[in-house]
Amino acid sequence: MGDTEIKAELKYSAEHEWVKIEGDVAIIGITDHAQNALHEITFVEISEVGTVLEANGECGLVESMKASSDLFTPIGGEIIEVNTELEDAPEKINEDCYGEGWLFKIKPSNLEADLAALMDANAYKALIESE
Amino acid sequence: MNDRLERTQIYDWHKEHGDVIPFAGWEMPVRYSSIKEEHMAVRDSCGIFDVSHMLRMRIEGPDSIDFLQTVTTNNVSKLKINGGQYSTCLNENGGTFDDLMLYRIGEEAFIWVTNAANGAKIWAHIQEQAKKFDVNVTDKTKEIAMIAVQGPNALALLSKMSEKDMGEFGRFTCNPITIAGYDTFLCRTGYTGEAGAEVLVLNCSFSDEGKTRAIGFWKELLNQGAEFGIKPCGLGARDSTRLEAGFVLYGHELDEETSPIEARIPYAVKFKVEPHYIGYDVVRSHKKEGVKKTRIGFVMIDRGIPREKYPILFNGVKIGMTTSGGLSPISNKGIGMGYVHPDTVNDGDIIEIDIKGRHRRAEITKWPFYDSEKYGETRTI
Repeated sequence: MGDTEIKAELKYSAEHEWVKIEGDVAIIGITDHAQNALHEITFVEISEVGTVLEANGECGLVESMKASSDLFTPIGGEIIEVNTELEDAPEKINEDCYGEGWLFKIKPSNLEADLAALMDANAYKALIESE
Repeated sequence: MNDRLERTQIYDWHKEHGDVIPFAGWEMPVRYSSIKEEHMAVRDSCGIFDVSHMLRMRIEGPDSIDFLQTVTTNNVSKLKINGGQYSTCLNENGGTFDDLMLYRIGEEAFIWVTNAANGAKIWAHIQEQAKKFDVNVTDKTKEIAMIAVQGPNALALLSKMSEKDMGEFGRFTCNPITIAGYDTFLCRTGYTGEAGAEVLVLNCSFSDEGKTRAIGFWKELLNQGAEFGIKPCGLGARDSTRLEAGFVLYGHELDEETSPIEARIPYAVKFKVEPHYIGYDVVRSHKKEGVKKTRIGFVMIDRGIPREKYPILFNGVKIGMTTSGGLSPISNKGIGMGYVHPDTVNDGDIIEIDIKGRHRRAEITKWPFYDSEKYGETRTI
């Protein structure tokens, strides 16, 4: 797992999700470490647009050939967009987890506090090295 | 239990070429490239699986037939020399200790292949039951490697390697033959739904020499199979192919609370046998008087992947639980199996699977979950 890609500009959760802030929107996906561990992602389901969630709320699932994993949003708020491309091409998460494989966008309700609970790239790197 | 994980004779190759995970006390490859690619190699051409983690026992002696008939449910006396049969081993309540393959390799000599996860349990059970008989049971797991060669091109490959026509060997046979210079028993059986064989490669001990020999045979298969697009396959594809074929997996569709009649594997259970096997009366009553649960198969209509232990609903009422599920690489749909109360649903009925709180529709179907005219051992196209 020495080749795991971690982007310096993103924030990370212990559940192996990344968060990118663009204006007043948070974009969320799963990390390279997570997609590597899941391998061959076959199906993604994310809660509908308009769903309001607390931070760490369950918001969908990711299926690989081997297992099902629950998704939790690291940032609380309202889901304003879901990556519908993944419906027919869930493998985009394996191919480009920080780009085309993004999962959903959320309008944060409590951004500062939620971000404070997340890790920066160095802390996340330390976490996956310790696993 | 010994905490240290066991490694098959071919482990060094797996470690170098695949992702190795702990499985049933062994370090086994889960995949080499991708589960889907390996799966489709088996469906379209040929795949090989190292299944040397399974327990292989030799049972020999004047009482071997009577002994085996007391601990297995198929008709042992009908098993011819150089034949094999699928069977189950039951507890006194008719629940299943394991499902197994039994091969007859001599007048009074048999090989029993059992699931790795049940190896210790079956070994203890057999040792206990064997005390009453004049039989000798020995563990051959660490003397014989076992490799499954599966797919529509599997027999062509084995014919080429052995310079023998595999057409001579029917399904469920087990013959001593030499393949590419290696002494083997060629067992015309498998767990993928496809044509092929499970090859017992003799003289493969856990020594350096034995490992070199087993890996040598494995590489020979890959080299000579290259023209067919052969792929090495891991446990991931082993599970996905058996699921698509609708085969039961111990710990999922079979356990000590489930009889082979409930599991709908009637071909593993015979009643005109002497002596009666352990569990006989219970499975006979299941056959004659009915069961409390029965196995079903289903294909998802809605999006979603079923997994084990999800509730099954019919008309809003819970009627059972799933035992296995996943994606069918052939249809790209979710498929699964489970147990329901008998007489509640029929083939074609629409049920719902509770996938983590989301109710998704599925149709009850027969297995296998592929078109048998296009895939599987009896394909016609």
